[in-house]
Amino acid sequence: MRPHRIALHLALGMAAILFAAPVAWMVVMSIQPEADIFRPVPQWWPRHPTMENYSALLQRAEEAPVLRWLGNSALVAAAGVTSYLTIASMAAYAFARLRFPGRNLLFGIVLATLVVPGQVTIIPLFLILQKLHWFNTYYALIVPGLSGVFGVFLLRQFFLTLPRELEEAAVIDGCSHASIYRRIILPLGRPAMATLAIFSFLGSWNDFMLPLIAVNDNDMRTLPVGLMIFLGRYSMQYGLVMAAAVVATIPVLVMFLLFQRHIVRGVALSGLKG
Amino acid sequence: MRQRTEERVTGWLFVAPYLALFTAFLAIPTLYGFYISLHDWHVLGRTRPFIGFGNYSALLRDDLFHRALLNTAIFALLTVLPGNALSLLLALGLNARVRGETLFKTLYYMPVVLSVAVTAIIWRWLYSAEFGIMNHYLSLFGGPRLAWLNSPELAMPSLALMSVWWGAGGNMLIYLAGLRGIPEQYYEAARIDGAGGWNRFRYVTAPMLRPTLLFCLIMSVIGSSQVFGQSYILTGGGPHYSTLTVVLYMYQTGFSLYRLGYACAVAYMLFAVILGVTAVQYRIIAGRSEEASA
Repeated sequence: MRPHRIALHLALGMAAILFAAPVAWMVVMSIQPEADIFRPVPQWWPRHPTMENYSALLQRAEEAPVLRWLGNSALVAAAGVTSYLTIASMAAYAFARLRFPGRNLLFGIVLATLVVPGQVTIIPLFLILQKLHWFNTYYALIVPGLSGVFGVFLLRQFFLTLPRELEEAAVIDGCSHASIYRRIILPLGRPAMATLAIFSFLGSWNDFMLPLIAVNDNDMRTLPVGLMIFLGRYSMQYGLVMAAAVVATIPVLVMFLLFQRHIVRGVALSGLKG
Repeated sequence: MRQRTEERVTGWLFVAPYLALFTAFLAIPTLYGFYISLHDWHVLGRTRPFIGFGNYSALLRDDLFHRALLNTAIFALLTVLPGNALSLLLALGLNARVRGETLFKTLYYMPVVLSVAVTAIIWRWLYSAEFGIMNHYLSLFGGPRLAWLNSPELAMPSLALMSVWWGAGGNMLIYLAGLRGIPEQYYEAARIDGAGGWNRFRYVTAPMLRPTLLFCLIMSVIGSSQVFGQSYILTGGGPHYSTLTVVLYMYQTGFSLYRLGYACAVAYMLFAVILGVTAVQYRIIAGRSEEASA
């Protein structure tokens, strides 16, 4: 390789180390005994690797039910992603292909709300959840996130690019539009659906604002808000806090690595051409 | 004819679930929030008198709100340009047919998938004055021991640095997609005309990338103006209000002081500011590209 190519690789490598180091540091700290954490020189290679922080985590289940939070997060994310994909793909198909009165006006209104920052709705949403008597329930954590403008928009853009011939042939054969959606659109739309799946999973798993205002019962929290409580309560037991952070991170990292190529494609797809 | 009816009915049935959610959790809250902002609405208050734009005119005279606006602008300034410059640099590097591209991409993007709580937990420790590795490595290079999050001057820049690390990978992917979308022939033509590396960037890459740049800058400004979790978790707005952001102010007004009307007014002011700034940005960048093409 020529010198400037080597320099380029070195620079990118250095950047990669800087990006990865804080995450690596979290893992390293979580497997060190408390005494080693407070050493003046950072121990990148743990001298006394231990799982004691993780077992201590389980013993704190009274004040900090990390496993319960993990379960809550998993439930909210699973329900959220499944329904997000179903509801958004149905609406996107209707907006992309079906002619019905009021369609364009409706889609215009939906698109216009893309400019509304989420914070504008937080306080009214809080009051609405109270009125529905949903505060501190799974409904409050799940239902507001069951679909989203972004997904409808993304899928509609993708469905518009699908060739129409198959659908036209199906109509001639007497197929209903509902079965066209099921038999043609959904199979052909799989790449876009996979992209939306990973983005909605990350959005749901990491959401901070809704769980912050929707519940205040310790057993109802999801991981991000629970972790914050944890940080406040055990602010000096850093091995313990890091272990909790690792537990919260493993699912997203696994999903990220599995669905990585869909993220890359999704970025290209989300319509930067438009 | 029957088919047309079937299409209409299916169309409405298919958008119905989405429309119900959209109405209940987006459209109604958006309008309701504006309605609340026109009232003196306290959680414990017996009455909620209509006060017109009273909350808004009070906000214009509210020093803390001004402080929050200023802090948010500082945060945007400290994250948007450095963050986008970093993302663009990484994307340009990756676009030069490097080995291990996938590995680099994975590592740059990895922080993006972390929740704000995990990010905050990691960085609070990195920033620890006594035991943090930031101070450790600074001292190796003869740097001073900094107070980071505990210093009124450094707290906001510290949050900004953390946020750039957290988010740069996202824009990096978008820039990379933009770069890959530039037809190779343009570069070949430039090369035949004898354009060097810098000139190829100046006359091919930069103009072709303008829509992507516009998109990323606008989205970054919108995102950074809504910063909340970082200061809520790490500093609570302190020290001395140095990290009190607009959304944090809204949250504290609403959920600690229970002044819901006032808090909604804060949210709508932010909405107005975001719309205004976005329009100005759009004008500046779009206007320039028209000039360039004229």
